[in-house]
Amino acid sequence: MKPPPFDYAAPSSVTEAVDLLAATEDAKLLAGGQSLMPLLALRLARPTLLVDLQDVEALSSIETSVRSVRFGAMVRQHQLVGSTSHPLIGSAARWIAHAAIRSRGTIGGSLAHADSAAELPVVATAVGATMEAVGRGRSRSIGADQFFHGLLQTALAEDEVLTAIDFPLPRRWGFAELARRHGDFALVLVAVAEMPSEDDRTHHWQIAVGGIEGTPRRCLNAEQEATVAGVHTAAQIEAVARLASTEIEAVDHLHASATYQRAMTAELVSRALTQAVEPTTISEPSQRETAP
Amino acid sequence: MTIGQTVTRKEDHRLLTGRGRFVSDLQLSPMRHVAFTRSIVAHAHLATVDTSEALALPGVRAVFTGADIPLALRAQSALPGYVETDQPALAVGKVRFVGEALAAVIADNRYLAEDGAELVDVDYSPLQPLVDATGVVIDPVHDDAPDNILIRRIFENGDVDTALEQSAVVVRRDLTTNRHAGNPMECRATVALWEDHRNLTVWSGTQVPHLVRNMLAEQLDLPEGNIRVIAPDVGGGFGVKAVLYPEDLAICAMARTMPGTALKWVEDRVEHLHAASHARDHRYEVEAGFADDGELLALRVDATCNVGAYSVYPWTVGIEPLMAGGLFTGPYRLEHYRCLVRGVTTNTSPSGPYRGVARPATVFAMEAVLDSGARALGISGADIRRRNLIAPDDIPYRMPTRLVDDSGHYLECFEKALDLVEHNGLDYDGLRAEQQKRVAHGGNPIGIGFAVYNELTGLGRAASAGPRMPFRTGHEACTVRINPEGSVTVLSGVTSQGQGLETTLAQVVAGTIGVGFDDVQVRYGDTNESLWGFGAFSSRQAVIAGGAALQSAEAVLEKALALAAELYEANADDLTLTNGNIMVAGSPQPIGTLADVARVAYLESNRLPAGFEPGLESTRFYDPVMGAFAAGAQVVVIEIERSTGELKILDLVCVEDSGRILNPQIVEGQVAGSLAQGIGGALYEHLVYDDDGNLKTGTLLDYLMPTSAETPEFTLGHLTHHADNPLGVRGVGEGGTLGPAATLAGAVADAVGLEIDELPITPARIWDGLAQQGGAGT
Repeated sequence: MKPPPFDYAAPSSVTEAVDLLAATEDAKLLAGGQSLMPLLALRLARPTLLVDLQDVEALSSIETSVRSVRFGAMVRQHQLVGSTSHPLIGSAARWIAHAAIRSRGTIGGSLAHADSAAELPVVATAVGATMEAVGRGRSRSIGADQFFHGLLQTALAEDEVLTAIDFPLPRRWGFAELARRHGDFALVLVAVAEMPSEDDRTHHWQIAVGGIEGTPRRCLNAEQEATVAGVHTAAQIEAVARLASTEIEAVDHLHASATYQRAMTAELVSRALTQAVEPTTISEPSQRETAP
Repeated sequence: MTIGQTVTRKEDHRLLTGRGRFVSDLQLSPMRHVAFTRSIVAHAHLATVDTSEALALPGVRAVFTGADIPLALRAQSALPGYVETDQPALAVGKVRFVGEALAAVIADNRYLAEDGAELVDVDYSPLQPLVDATGVVIDPVHDDAPDNILIRRIFENGDVDTALEQSAVVVRRDLTTNRHAGNPMECRATVALWEDHRNLTVWSGTQVPHLVRNMLAEQLDLPEGNIRVIAPDVGGGFGVKAVLYPEDLAICAMARTMPGTALKWVEDRVEHLHAASHARDHRYEVEAGFADDGELLALRVDATCNVGAYSVYPWTVGIEPLMAGGLFTGPYRLEHYRCLVRGVTTNTSPSGPYRGVARPATVFAMEAVLDSGARALGISGADIRRRNLIAPDDIPYRMPTRLVDDSGHYLECFEKALDLVEHNGLDYDGLRAEQQKRVAHGGNPIGIGFAVYNELTGLGRAASAGPRMPFRTGHEACTVRINPEGSVTVLSGVTSQGQGLETTLAQVVAGTIGVGFDDVQVRYGDTNESLWGFGAFSSRQAVIAGGAALQSAEAVLEKALALAAELYEANADDLTLTNGNIMVAGSPQPIGTLADVARVAYLESNRLPAGFEPGLESTRFYDPVMGAFAAGAQVVVIEIERSTGELKILDLVCVEDSGRILNPQIVEGQVAGSLAQGIGGALYEHLVYDDDGNLKTGTLLDYLMPTSAETPEFTLGHLTHHADNPLGVRGVGEGGTLGPAATLAGAVADAVGLEIDELPITPARIWDGLAQQGGAGT
């Protein structure tokens, strides 16, 4: 479990990083390394150059506005735990792995790694986050619905750096996760968010399910049902949850049958919506570790 | 006396402050690093193994294949029905499991060695793989065993057929247990250095250094005195390091070609999960007959153990099947017993010793049929156990496999465990009432599960571990030396992988001689220092090495007091030693010190009385001949989350008869650690091969070890019925692992009526079962 040979660079600006990516074939960004380093050690990833973003200070800011919070890509995951500026992220971040991993792992690293069983891609999908990417001589914004392309695949081009992520603030929200052990990647995880319209006059529900398919799944029929019929009663919540469970495509795997995954989707959508309408039911991962 | 007290462990300061010295810390110069090219195919002929590209890589010094090392391990047993097979140092001609080492690359560092190992070009000519021990054999794993059966034996007593016919009820369970890895924190590690072609030093994270020396001497055709094996600090073993592996042999053979250059290999976690010994991949078909009152009348068992691709050296493939058949009935009285066991070779990593050896599986099976019997008869799970446990009056009890139980304290363990059950202020009866309340009024169901077991510890020559191998593991040697200034050095054949032997042996010797705990130094793990020891396995060290330490300490004390009697003109029978002072009966003032006597023994031979040899030292061997059965009982209380199938442990009680307790904290640590390992095996850990023989759980991302978050607080209780050995101790190393699969499965059945026939017990499995009952999510 030793990585094959690679070169290493630690630029201090995004421009330098982009230049390095553009100039080198099979270069890879290092943004905390909590997923990439194991992949290197297992020789499943073989980049020629690692471009480490840890010295790019411009990527560590957090900016709060009325409608959203914008996180620099290198904000460490432990900084998100218990966040009051974006409570959904603050709640979901408690479920990310373990303290040691959160202290190195970054928000941008997790999103660019694009594992749908991880918390941040699912939250980003639920609130419709906007990814800001900088490439050589250009920058662009990518919506969450366009960003995740498949298992560990994103819309980012070879020379693009994910620099910041803008997470809109939901009016009400809920988050639920089921994992084999505390800190594991989820078997199923669900984020629900009631998002305001542009003019703030109306709201609509967005529901994202992770851990089952290659990318986080937005359950559009369930969202429609929740928005139109409401989630005022337990029966309404159950109806939405059942609908959501029919919208995912599950296959049997080592730890859970497809049937179980669909059933847990319904269960967790129900729990997340219940949290959203009754915030006192918000749960934290069962763990002895006290979150910092 | 420090025996029986919790004292600060001698090894803790070193281990807890990063000052431990493990094999991976060893730096020698020159030193080269080894990486193995491992088979990626489960079963194939090796057409060609081309090393040219690897050899051309800068930094690679040499590449070896099986053809370069004509050595093979051949585990031996005199049992009829055992088929001997070879395990080559590196695969020759054929590979038999994914992960089997087939070439080794020696390079300047581990990175380069792995780069080289990737470049070894292997041309596989695939054979039909088989990973299921009950599957149809197309291409046998070994030519000498066309049916893949490497061992087969029937244990039989009484008349099972008639007894089953005459039973009021007969229950049948078909049970499957899950394959585990030992997974010590430190994986395997070996360094080999030849001084010249005839003198070898091996540093190894082994549990059995003297055995390793013995086995290497035979393999390498050397006198034992030419080999020194050193086990420095070792980070866990659990049995998987009590094996001599082909990698060890290959490293020694390769190093022999480059005297003066040390070769180092530190196993990584992926290698460990693929190629260190596995365990517990068993199937049981059990029929049990009961009388109306719950008495167990007969057991018919058909057991199949998947023993993997090779017979582990030196224990053989018999280690699990024979233990399964030999101790299946555990602590329960039974006359009519028939158990067919077979060890079936497959294209999976070899199975070997792992904490609890087979009994986590057999206890699961035995308790399952008791629970089924209780349900069929309408009596309680507690009562059916009370009805059948071997009692003190039955002792010595000859089990149907002719093992003789010398304990009988099972019911006492069980009743004490029931007394200790507590959750949220509710005792056992309170929890039963709460259980009924929830049945009536809804709420997540509660279940209670039981297991009672016996653990054969400290096996002497008449019962020693392993199936009629060419050696017996019943004894240990210990040297106790009083140094010239009165301190004491203990040279023991024990090894420690974290069990605190440095501390407990010092307690035994300090307490026996009468010197301070801090004045005793314990050295072990180096074959050049201690005379002989088999090392750590089968919960044997406290009983056997403790006994040897006690007897050596007594002998050297006798010698010291005899000398003191001459020097101080006293009667030796009136002298005692307390805290290093020599006391004479009836006087509060010491008449001298051990230091004074020791000085004479070593430095003032002119003062030695006639007939006294210089020096103060004694070496004794101890063999308990039989063993010490240790009784244990566990009770678990669980709650099942109906909506997800998640299982929550509300209380887990374990009561064991530890005999005399040498150090309470160490005993509790052993029990707690083994319970955690048992929970891991019952709920999380599972090595899964696909049909092609690829390991699907090859990293700790998929092979789920329990962490502190998955491990509940335990409620521990102890009995201290002294065993029939000099220290009165019983082994406590493994018992905890025996209960959790049985108790947790029993508790699930008790909670929701779901019979668990397959391990591990996962939320998905519980939920699926509830869904079939129509009860999930309600």
